[in-house]
Amino acid sequence: MKEKDPLNVIVTGVGGQGNVLLSQLIGRALVRAGYCVTIGETYGASQRGGAVMSHVRISRQAQYGPLIPHGQADVILGLEPVETLRVLGQYGNPGVTVITNSRPVYPLAVAVGAARYPSVEEIARALEELSSRAWLINATEIALDLGASILANIVMVGALVGAGVLPLAPEEIELEFQESLPGDKLDLNLKAFRRGLAEIKAR
Amino acid sequence: MTSIIAYEPGASQLLMGNEAIARGALEAGLGLASAYPGNPSSEIIGSLAEVAREMGIYVEWSVNEKVALEVAAAASFAGVRAIVAMKQNGLNVASDFLMNLNLTGTNAGLVLVVCDDPSGQSSTNEQDSRPIAKWAELPLLEPATFQEAKDMAKWAFELSEEIKNVCVLRSVTRVSHARGDVRLGETKPPSRDARFAPTMLGQFTPLLVTLKHNMLHQKLKRVREIFESSPFNWYTGPEKPELLIVTCGSGWYYCLEAVKVLGLESSVGILKLGTTWPLPEKLVLEHLARTDKVLVVEEVDPFLEGNLKELVGDNFSALGPLTFYGKRSGHLPSVGELDPDQVMGGIGSVLGRERVAVEPEYSKKAQDLTGGMVQSRMIGFCAGCPHRATLWSVKNALKLDGRGGFVTGDIGCYTMGLGPTGFFQLKTAQAMGSGAGLACGFGNLDKLGFAQPVLAVCGDSTFFHAAIPALINGVYNQANFTLIILDNSATAMTGFQPHPGTGASALGEPAPSVDLEGLCRSLGIQVEVTDPFDIQDTTQKLLDLMQHDGRVRVLISRRKCAIVRAKEEKAAYKVRVDSVRCRGESCGCARLCTRVFQCPGLIWDGESQTAKIDEVICSGCGVCADICPASAIIREAA
Amino acid sequence: MSLEVKGCRELQSEVLARDLCSLCGACVGMCPYLVTYKGRVVALDECNLSQGRCYAFCPRTSLDLDLLSQTVFGVPYTADELGTVQQIAMARAMDDGIRSKAQYGGTVTALTSFALEQGLIDSAVLTAGDENILPSGTLANSAAQIRDCAGSSFVAAPTVAAFNRESAKGDVQRIGVVATPCQALALAKMRASPLENRNNVDKLSLVIGLFCTWALRYEDFASFLAEKVPLGQIVKFDIPPPPANIFQVFADSGRIDIPLDQVRSFIRPACNVCIDMTAEFADISVGAAEGVAGWNTLITRSDAGRKLVEAAQAKGVIETKPLPEQNLAHLKEASLLKKKRGLNKVIETTGSDQDLLYLRLASEVVRGLLS
Repeated sequence: MKEKDPLNVIVTGVGGQGNVLLSQLIGRALVRAGYCVTIGETYGASQRGGAVMSHVRISRQAQYGPLIPHGQADVILGLEPVETLRVLGQYGNPGVTVITNSRPVYPLAVAVGAARYPSVEEIARALEELSSRAWLINATEIALDLGASILANIVMVGALVGAGVLPLAPEEIELEFQESLPGDKLDLNLKAFRRGLAEIKAR
Repeated sequence: MTSIIAYEPGASQLLMGNEAIARGALEAGLGLASAYPGNPSSEIIGSLAEVAREMGIYVEWSVNEKVALEVAAAASFAGVRAIVAMKQNGLNVASDFLMNLNLTGTNAGLVLVVCDDPSGQSSTNEQDSRPIAKWAELPLLEPATFQEAKDMAKWAFELSEEIKNVCVLRSVTRVSHARGDVRLGETKPPSRDARFAPTMLGQFTPLLVTLKHNMLHQKLKRVREIFESSPFNWYTGPEKPELLIVTCGSGWYYCLEAVKVLGLESSVGILKLGTTWPLPEKLVLEHLARTDKVLVVEEVDPFLEGNLKELVGDNFSALGPLTFYGKRSGHLPSVGELDPDQVMGGIGSVLGRERVAVEPEYSKKAQDLTGGMVQSRMIGFCAGCPHRATLWSVKNALKLDGRGGFVTGDIGCYTMGLGPTGFFQLKTAQAMGSGAGLACGFGNLDKLGFAQPVLAVCGDSTFFHAAIPALINGVYNQANFTLIILDNSATAMTGFQPHPGTGASALGEPAPSVDLEGLCRSLGIQVEVTDPFDIQDTTQKLLDLMQHDGRVRVLISRRKCAIVRAKEEKAAYKVRVDSVRCRGESCGCARLCTRVFQCPGLIWDGESQTAKIDEVICSGCGVCADICPASAIIREAA
Repeated sequence: MSLEVKGCRELQSEVLARDLCSLCGACVGMCPYLVTYKGRVVALDECNLSQGRCYAFCPRTSLDLDLLSQTVFGVPYTADELGTVQQIAMARAMDDGIRSKAQYGGTVTALTSFALEQGLIDSAVLTAGDENILPSGTLANSAAQIRDCAGSSFVAAPTVAAFNRESAKGDVQRIGVVATPCQALALAKMRASPLENRNNVDKLSLVIGLFCTWALRYEDFASFLAEKVPLGQIVKFDIPPPPANIFQVFADSGRIDIPLDQVRSFIRPACNVCIDMTAEFADISVGAAEGVAGWNTLITRSDAGRKLVEAAQAKGVIETKPLPEQNLAHLKEASLLKKKRGLNKVIETTGSDQDLLYLRLASEVVRGLLS
């Protein structure tokens, strides 16, 4: 796979899903592998139920700014389907690769009955039409199967690495886990990561 | 956060801009750090607090930014290197002391970090803090990269000691909160011989103000000389560019990328300044002489642009004709956060170059397919938040009272009470403590026809920061209002830092806790305490307090923040909806719980026409059970 | 012809914001949005329904008197001075105990207790004031409780709210209500409503109406009175017949006379557009007997009402005697005057005799009343 430089990855989701953790994990592994990495994030009030976006810039040659220009995303990793669509609309292009979790986090407007959440078919169709490759991964279900819904973001990391869109081998992420997680958490996170890997390889 | 001392010197660590600044301070031999939490600055002191014990340094969360600056100044006076951090609004609070400190000067290095929030993404205003450096006549540094954030922070202490004055380091959200790999240096332990020994009569007093002002001018001249050869300023591009971009801070990466994407490396040059006040005049003039078109890229206000023009004004006979482009000419937006697309647009319009971000066909397809499906996510109080319950009672009490009463608001999570999540109750929200201040004003307009009950709200942390003087003003000037202190035992919005009421220090050790009721009672005020989850009682207390016209009253609405509570205890109740009893959309309910109360733990299921509890989100507070008109929401002790 | 039904928003803009609310209580006690507080209807939140019971049952919206007359009596509305009348007489309770507590003749108390005793009703919604003279609807299911509610309020009370609340409960099946004219209208609207949910109005078994010329606003009247006498000491109010022109307050410490004009300044504005003095939409209506102390004027309107009165007479619960011609003439004159005044006020408010605000009356009827 030819290495685009810079490689622009957007991780998107809703506050509380572990978006920030995920981008840092990938970032650290990439720094270890000798890449220049910049991660731009949106914090603050957006955490109270709002959308969260991390822009990850990966380069061998130079450090890039924390914001990806419109239409320049190479990979979109979505922890939430509508957030993936939102990012696609602004940063997508015909060549983008999209991997998204299929489980919705309903916005307040939908929960209170003031707005409608799109159907899985509508989402899948949009993803198909607006990307060169797209996957819908049931990360939350896999995570629940492993015992905790919060692991969905780790499953998604597995899917991302498994799709081969990052210049990272699975072992490099697993090393990050070993370096940064205490023993009792390590096992479960590795399981979640490997399930994500397997899930995408199976498609 | 991985600790900022977790890696060895020489290693590369992925650091947030704020963490890089903190690391730089440690590499300079920092001894003391102080701050009040404020987005996007909080992680500076936060990451230092994490390693304080190990590094043997003193770190505190001060009650407000003015005190934080005073605390840091004391350290500097006593020969200890100190750093103080704040957001733009905090700088306003600290400015009174700063406008004295600049004249008295400092001793050991003192670095003041101010982090601006362009677009006010989590602020009550949008403000460019850089003019403070010009106003206070202090050196200003603006890091453009994460490496620079660390290196500048470290060097700033040296500069500060060179001129015996404060050095201002200014960052923005996209530098403070973004992460990049940073090569680490050696940390240094602080000197441990702190001692206060002024060397001149009246050194730290206003004695001989004009003399000191003159000394300040001399210091600035010295800084200007140093800046002329600073490694934080550089030029990249052709010898004679068609367009010279002058940029600083976050603008650097955007300009670099913009020029690359537009393919203009051979015709556009970029002068990146890290030392933006005072300007390294010779250096700048040299580069301005390269061309006749200058685009200034900065955030938030045209500060650099104005200073460049001032410089040109003093030297225009030595320069050729120059046209400036930027925020003033309209080539860049004059408000809001900067981004690479804006910069590309600016360069493009100056040089007559169009850039299409995405093929129009794709753009249209994207709009058609996703347009209807994607709405912005409303932010609101978390499930179980006591503010929602307090404001529900406030809304009811004001309506029942019927005299057109209203709420003056303040800064914290409860600021969201201006919107639907707080039933649109907050009618004002400006600086810290201003809810109480405004209430003092409203509360003395009765002679001028004013007859509306006034309720001021502020959080526990905000109360300690700024509301106390306003409260005392209300007592002394006999203002008619009720202050509601929303005591959720947290400085929640900024990340749950401790404060004088929470009983813990920045290092997580036990600390004295100020008795809120005792403090208010000592002012001779009527103080009531209420549990916001008891809606009926809280509403009645508010109605009664509003009847006691003529004096200041305080209601402390006390319940732990839902997020704090969830970490410490399990849920109080298990909550469910009896779908048979649920009236849903029919007359007699009209979906009160989901449509009006809007707790995210309550979901409306249109298909089965009933409200439901989202068990993942519900925090088990049980308040909704009291709201339901059909008694369809059942709570059972968990 | 049918009743137009809108929602809470329209109730607020068409009735509450225009000061047309008579505080009958029909819109309250059914949902969390509308409540009463110290004599005011308060909307605590926005209800977004396009149709609601609050608007449907309000006697100040879409008041089609002909439809109501058909519903309650089975006859068209004729705008006769006293409404539909089967019989009219003077009456009073036979029981001294009742008469001693009563405002005038105790007829209402006696008939309500009798209806309860006879099983015609199993509970009664009446009006009682608290220690601050704030009146509200209350449920009575014993003769003693009924007696406790004897006496006129003069301050508007949201009594229908109590009917709304109690009718929703399973333990009452036949409810009697003692109602002012606007309250009786609200109950009539409930019966005639096109809505599916009519608050179990089929449980309504008896409406005893009260004559009413006006009712007072609570909050400022109570503050006004509180300056003259502690509210908790007040036992009863009365207005003696002209030419006295005073409002009497009977308190533990004695009687206080207040110029009637001062009290009139507290009349609810809604009363100025009212055209029903004798509670025309009740089964029976009761008021003072002018110039005859200790007696009531009793109008029997419906068959149910007539049966009750005849049974009560037979059992010696009440006694009746003919109403003097003079009284009847005066009563008709006063009632007609109220109709004229109300209509004129309506037309003055709208500026056009084609727009009668909340009233749905045929133009011949209007012309007839105004001539």
